[in-house]
Amino acid sequence: MPKKCFFRRPKLPALWTQGVFLILGVLALTTPAQAHRVLVFAYAEGDTIHTEGKFVPNNPVRQGQVQVLEQKTGKILVTGKTDDQGKYAFKIPAAAAAQKMDLKIVIVAAMGHQGEWLLKASSYLPGAKKATVAPAPAAPQAAAPSPVAPGTKAATVDSQMLEEAVNKALARQLGPINEKLAEMAVHRASLPDILGGLGYILGFFGFWAYFQSKRKKDS
Amino acid sequence: MHISEGVLSPAVLGGGAGLAVMGTAIGLKKLDYEAIPRVAILSAAFFVASLIHVPVGPVGLHLVLNGLMGLLLGWVAVPAILIALFLQALLFQFGGLTVLGVNTVVMAAPAVFCFYAYRGLLRRPGTAAAVGAFACGATAILLSGLLVAVALITTGQSFLEVAELVLLAHIPIMIIEGIITLFIFLFFQKVRPEMLEGIYA
Repeated sequence: MPKKCFFRRPKLPALWTQGVFLILGVLALTTPAQAHRVLVFAYAEGDTIHTEGKFVPNNPVRQGQVQVLEQKTGKILVTGKTDDQGKYAFKIPAAAAAQKMDLKIVIVAAMGHQGEWLLKASSYLPGAKKATVAPAPAAPQAAAPSPVAPGTKAATVDSQMLEEAVNKALARQLGPINEKLAEMAVHRASLPDILGGLGYILGFFGFWAYFQSKRKKDS
Repeated sequence: MHISEGVLSPAVLGGGAGLAVMGTAIGLKKLDYEAIPRVAILSAAFFVASLIHVPVGPVGLHLVLNGLMGLLLGWVAVPAILIALFLQALLFQFGGLTVLGVNTVVMAAPAVFCFYAYRGLLRRPGTAAAVGAFACGATAILLSGLLVAVALITTGQSFLEVAELVLLAHIPIMIIEGIITLFIFLFFQKVRPEMLEGIYA
């Protein structure tokens, strides 16, 4: 390659210096971030499952298509659309609660982007169980006001109701924390990733050049 | 531009992978020993460009620079883009390994096309070459958007709907990439003309 160092040139051509400043200006307006990954997050609160989809780091997926599938069979249980905050909430399907299905929640954003979240049965069932079981203790309580053992019965009902209330309060309070955790679990492009990638690229091509040079010498 | 994993059918993924392999083979065949450092630099630039986020439109967008890759590399842009996409999938979870072939075709095919389409214009002196460089950067994005729409037809989304959305969303990027390609072209023309030898070959 001919040695032509541009630093030694006395005058830089005006047009491309303007251009370089323009490009730098464009880059200054932009923020390095990770577009193009859809993060889906879901948690249960009582008998409702809240889902949220966003483009990493923080753009909601507006009007994204939500599909709730059974993890094992891939059967679609619920479909819907996210609102302008990228949120969508649905009641836990009775079939899912009965069969303890693990739910795969897929949010399809525009232009071939999508993300998914696996909601294990164990993490949403407490709320669902309460919803289905709750009416049951109410019925015997009303039907049998027998004086036989009112103390024990009242105690079980009380403890059940208490548990339900505690679960509800916990779910409400833990929701945001769960959300924060999911956010932290997202793998963001960090400087080591970027530098590592650049290193790999140079390495690949160095490797290729090395073998090319060998072949050149051999022939 | 990166299509996520799990969106496309195996047939489309296979087809994309086949085309990508063919393109890579042609690119590697055309890759001269002397050109390797140049390809490495551009592959690195492409790898990083996707992290530059342009906050416009409904979806956050980023630079692609495939027009510039095509302008400077021709067919060799295919292996350069393939490697950059592979590492993006691995390190940033952009796209994914199964979609690698399709994503390579989506971004590299317009690069190669623009190289041949605008080569004549770029060889001419003065304004014609500048216009060619801008058009090269902008057209590559346009075609990539169309290819995304084509790839998504098979998923049952209507082509026109997706194409309209993709194209509208990418108009700002087309202009930005056109300008960037234009000025990088002018820069090389003045300072490092040997970077542009691909056009004259």
